[in-house]
Amino acid sequence: MSRVRTGRKNGRQAVAYHERLTKSDLQKIYRNLWFARVFDEALYDAKKKGRLRRGNVYGSRGQEAIIVGTTYPLEDGDFVSPIHRDMPVFILRGMTTEEVMCQVWGKAEAPTRGKDSWSHMGDISKGIVHSTSMLGSTIAVACGVLWSLRLDGKRDRVLVAYTGEGATATGPFHEGLNFAAVHKLPLIVVVENNQYAYSTPVELEVPTKTVAERAKGYGIPGYSIDGNDFIEVYNTMCAALEHARAGKGPVLIECVTYRLQGHADHDETRARQYRPVEEIEMWEKRDPLPRFRQYLLSTGQFTESELPEPPPDVVEEIQRAIEYAISRPDPEPHTALEDIYDESAGVSK
Amino acid sequence: MREVTFLEAIRLAMWEEMERDPNVFMIGEDIGRMGGAFGVTAGFMEHFGADRVIDAPISETAIIAVCVGAAATGKRGIAEMQFIDFISYGFDQVVNVAGTFLYRSGGKTPIPIVVRGPSGGYVGGSLYHSQQFEAWFFHTPGVKVVQPAFPDDAYGLMKASIRDNNPVVFYEHKYLYRRVKGAIPDPSEDYIVKLGEARVRRYGDDITVVTYGAMVHFALEAAQRLEKEGVSLEVIDLRTVKPLDMETILKSLEKTSKLLIVYEAPKTGGVGAEIAARIAEHSFELLDAPIKRVAAKDAFVPFAEPLEKFVLPSVDDIVFAARELAAY
Ligand SMILES: Cc1ncc(C[n+]2csc(CCOP(=O)(O)OP(=O)(O)O)c2C)c(N)n1
Ligand SMILES: [Mg+2]
Repeated sequence: MSRVRTGRKNGRQAVAYHERLTKSDLQKIYRNLWFARVFDEALYDAKKKGRLRRGNVYGSRGQEAIIVGTTYPLEDGDFVSPIHRDMPVFILRGMTTEEVMCQVWGKAEAPTRGKDSWSHMGDISKGIVHSTSMLGSTIAVACGVLWSLRLDGKRDRVLVAYTGEGATATGPFHEGLNFAAVHKLPLIVVVENNQYAYSTPVELEVPTKTVAERAKGYGIPGYSIDGNDFIEVYNTMCAALEHARAGKGPVLIECVTYRLQGHADHDETRARQYRPVEEIEMWEKRDPLPRFRQYLLSTGQFTESELPEPPPDVVEEIQRAIEYAISRPDPEPHTALEDIYDESAGVSK
Repeated sequence: MREVTFLEAIRLAMWEEMERDPNVFMIGEDIGRMGGAFGVTAGFMEHFGADRVIDAPISETAIIAVCVGAAATGKRGIAEMQFIDFISYGFDQVVNVAGTFLYRSGGKTPIPIVVRGPSGGYVGGSLYHSQQFEAWFFHTPGVKVVQPAFPDDAYGLMKASIRDNNPVVFYEHKYLYRRVKGAIPDPSEDYIVKLGEARVRRYGDDITVVTYGAMVHFALEAAQRLEKEGVSLEVIDLRTVKPLDMETILKSLEKTSKLLIVYEAPKTGGVGAEIAARIAEHSFELLDAPIKRVAAKDAFVPFAEPLEKFVLPSVDDIVFAARELAAY
């Protein structure tokens, strides 16, 4: 049966999964949230200072609770399929910060060996599926990954596919989700509804009041939740995982949030014109980081000084990785012609 | 005459056609409120209204299909692909729907649509923001392919493409958008560049260089360099890739007897392959030397600078190839 839950009130899960989180979990989560924030800030800064000369920086400022809340409850063997707004997901799922920075700088040792940019990378051994620029196409590819897991007898492993609300308008999004629903694949689609697709407001992308309502058409559960509230994201994700692992099919989670910056670093000036100032100011107040910090303090388990903003080791780790990437060699020109075909015929990898 | 950028020439052509013909409309992602990712449609929505300037969801299939349906019923749609690479989602609409429509309707229902967008490399755009696959549509019956190099041609060809009764895929090289400037005629002249006519951009005696798009500028630079060495290049800008103007090429070859074809797309199966085949097939006697091609290597356009440079053709590549031909 399809359940559409809209708004914070109904979106909150009956089961408070977060209550099982230990102090050490909460500390890690706090660090992860800041990691995502500092990652973003450091790359914007590198671009502004001319230290990063190629490629766009697509920020996730304001969307960190989604990134952390949807990855934290994952287990070994689960897959993720992140896109341009989800860079920290690659690291939270096991790639090194150095590797990711090498990718951003197009270095020889980057996962794509300098061939593609930004989030167009992956690591199948870590359960991270590669994306392309073609928005929506990952949702359909996810079905193939899940089918492969089914063939391997791993029916309880899930795939979390991220998408913006805008990309839910593409054909492959529909084809993928329809296929997953027909075959009850354990696909969790996390829609990061940040209110804009580039300059286009959500009303011009999605005709229903919530993106979650799209789930009705596939007969799957759809949740519309506060994407800036870590606890709510985490609890919904845990419920979705139980559903998917139990073989009940896909789940769509719409995380309502806001893109606090431009579409990418080149868009800052225009983005202040096509977004109302009051809207930006309102969402600044819903920043997921101070909210989570407030929650931690309210539990009585933390003192102010235990929760630095940002944690210095996060800043240090990211800066170190950036310096590392900058110091590494560019790819050799001739390698541009490598990796077009794999001639090791008949060998399954 | 007006001095404008390549981008502005395209913008003005569309603007004037929309003023002239109320059946012309446009559709694309972020083209209205924002005026397009590159600003090509800036001001259109304010002036022409939201019924004729449609901000579409991220749905390239629908964006092109809306133009097809509207074209079947008398309108002329201009579809913007935010980057022409994304036409792959609308590929079926161009190739199987728009391209075949006239044929299937017994000649009764032409499909006047223009699918346009920024193409090409040299800007570090990596795989999906750098491609140049005009060959996909070059291979498709019923579809025309345009790829200008200068503002006046971009202006005249855009007008002709909008007025043309067939599906046209219009490539706008993003490297040229703001780098290339030139004079275009005033609106009162109703200036049109007919589709299917090449233009000699530089006259010369020794080697015919056939090219289009951004490569025209590379070829002209190579010609300038080689002039100092006493090698004279004639540079033909195809402007329209399909239909192909063989006449202009042959006329030039009668003079030079040497042919160098330059294109930015992967070499294999590209437009240059067809030109070479036609010359070899029908005009072999005109040649005094083997035909040469300078094109991208058969790879994707990679991100890192040394890789992108390695894959895409350069002015140096053209100079070296021309020198070899001259020495032959
Ligand atoms: C098929 C396709 N069309 C257009 C684009 C260009 N583009 C890149 S990001 C973007 C907006 C995406 O919006 P949304 O899905 O809401 O994700 P967000 O960027 O807001 O996180 C667009 C139109 C693309 N990458 N792929
Ligand atoms: Mg969005």
